[in-house]
Amino acid sequence: MEHIAESELAFYAFDPTAVSEERRRAIESHIADCAVCRTAYEFFAVAEEDLSDADVWERNMGSATRESLMAYAARIAEEDEEAAELLKPLFDAPARVAWANLHRQKRFLNGGVVRQLNARALALRESEPLDALTFADAAIAIAEALPDDTYPAKAIYELRGKAWEHRAVAQTVLGDFAAAYDSLARAERAHKKLASPAFGLAAVSLIRASVHYCQQQFAEAEAIAEKAERAYAHLGDDERRMSALFLRGGIRFEASDLSGAIVLFRQVLDYGESTNNSRWIARSLNALGNCESDRGNLGEASMHFQKALALLREIGPANERISTQWGIARVLLRAGKCHEAIRRLRDAAAEFEARGIVTDAALVSLDIADGLLALDQTHQIVNLAARMFRVFTDAGMLTGALTALAYIKEAAAAGTLTPDDLQSVRVFLRQAKRQPELLFVRPPTRNR
Amino acid sequence: MQDPRLEAERATPPGANAATPAAPPVEFEEVYLRYASMLRKIAVRKFRIPIAEAESLVHDVFATYFMHAASVHAVEPYLVGAICNASRYYLRRSDAAEALFCSETPCMAVPDRGLLDEIDRKLLLSRMLAGVGSRCRDLLHRYYVNGETTSAIAGAIESTPGTVLVFLHKCRKRALDAYRAISGRV
Repeated sequence: MEHIAESELAFYAFDPTAVSEERRRAIESHIADCAVCRTAYEFFAVAEEDLSDADVWERNMGSATRESLMAYAARIAEEDEEAAELLKPLFDAPARVAWANLHRQKRFLNGGVVRQLNARALALRESEPLDALTFADAAIAIAEALPDDTYPAKAIYELRGKAWEHRAVAQTVLGDFAAAYDSLARAERAHKKLASPAFGLAAVSLIRASVHYCQQQFAEAEAIAEKAERAYAHLGDDERRMSALFLRGGIRFEASDLSGAIVLFRQVLDYGESTNNSRWIARSLNALGNCESDRGNLGEASMHFQKALALLREIGPANERISTQWGIARVLLRAGKCHEAIRRLRDAAAEFEARGIVTDAALVSLDIADGLLALDQTHQIVNLAARMFRVFTDAGMLTGALTALAYIKEAAAAGTLTPDDLQSVRVFLRQAKRQPELLFVRPPTRNR
Repeated sequence: MQDPRLEAERATPPGANAATPAAPPVEFEEVYLRYASMLRKIAVRKFRIPIAEAESLVHDVFATYFMHAASVHAVEPYLVGAICNASRYYLRRSDAAEALFCSETPCMAVPDRGLLDEIDRKLLLSRMLAGVGSRCRDLLHRYYVNGETTSAIAGAIESTPGTVLVFLHKCRKRALDAYRAISGRV
């Protein structure tokens, strides 16, 4: 097949009416059959217009925006490298950071130091909230001391907002909710200074929802968590969207809306399955197991727990695996298999205790007490409560939980302990886990 | 039950935002070159923002992104959401807090198939221009972007308009060859 000259194809592509009608028909017929000429024609047809677009040239010819942003990116990388070196000796010594007044020392006054301190606060904010607070405070002090125009596009506000977020989370874990709200308000104010504040504001919403959840303010918590979920959907951040969705499920669960919780946890499960994400599959199955168990659907609950356990044995983390084993033991307890349930519950309590997860160990012990009460073995409950009392004391957790455990011990010794008493203490311990300052109030005396 | 509060706090996945330096500039540059054009077009075409202002918004979106790049899970939707956010804020349709997400479903900033095809085509063209040689690149740039006439170019390079036309044709031919090489088409 004889090809059409490229010069003619170019001529035709730029202006088809410039060639005679007869020739035009010939070209059209030819390029319909000839891939070589069709490629050339398609190229010429779009090139004329596309080559006039300045964006096409940016990769090769550069632009003021590109140059400015790349200089900025290089500066960020350089600052981060220097800050990592500078802060290395301080990262394992939060007390030194607290005393050093970093923001008064010129060498620490840059965005790289703030980013590193923020990263440290993020890493510690759940496990070591006091240390996280120290790092977040140092980050805030430096970020606030830096001029507003430290970076282009007011990007310093991103660092300030993030530092206030970490502070808020640490305060939430410590149960200082009023301070957490204040930190969140400051984080929000900082993020609002940015041209595109959605990412920061979504994070603030998610944390704020958590604070309301911890305070058992379920309606507010869910409305805000939903807002965060929509914001993350808008930003295409499915992982964080799932965090918001999972929180919503947890809120429904705590509010005893089990059907609502199941709908939401199933969405998380669907996401986990569609993305082959074992973590989300395991978490949602565990949560669904708890919902079904509370609904009395013990067969379904057991099925969900067993599936979750198989995954968690493989991928961890240990605390979630133990939680699932605890769920299975509760199913057995509800099914009336008290001896087997108690054996498994003792294993779960011991594992929690060994990992220092003291409140969950106490909550498992309450389930053991339920089983022992059903078997009419109240003397064992006295020993169990005394033991948990010692565990809390040894862990330095001198909270209202001690009063609650002492109450169980006394009631068991007096032979007046009822399942309702255990439930009252259970509700208290779950709340006290998030609000350490909470005081235990003995349930009203009933005719026993 | 596992405390979902902790799930919320674990919003940033382990490892992200950890105490590692920000991504090196070369990664930032690639992200910028991959998406800047798309963001400009979204701001200009979907939100009718003037080109100069759109440029400024794109700059600010990237400036914020670079500050927390390590914690962004999905770059493209993040940047599209961010330019939507910035454009709506610019247009004062809503204040910053209300700009958290748009009320439209799907979001009006999400590029349609036509725009995505155009972006892909132009990215290909852009990479192709790297392979046509600097003289051709300069000539094509002057003609297509600067809008210089063949006479003006001829004057600048001490040639004739006819010769410039021949050069242009040869450069387009080179561009076509580079296009074939990159796109793997015949």
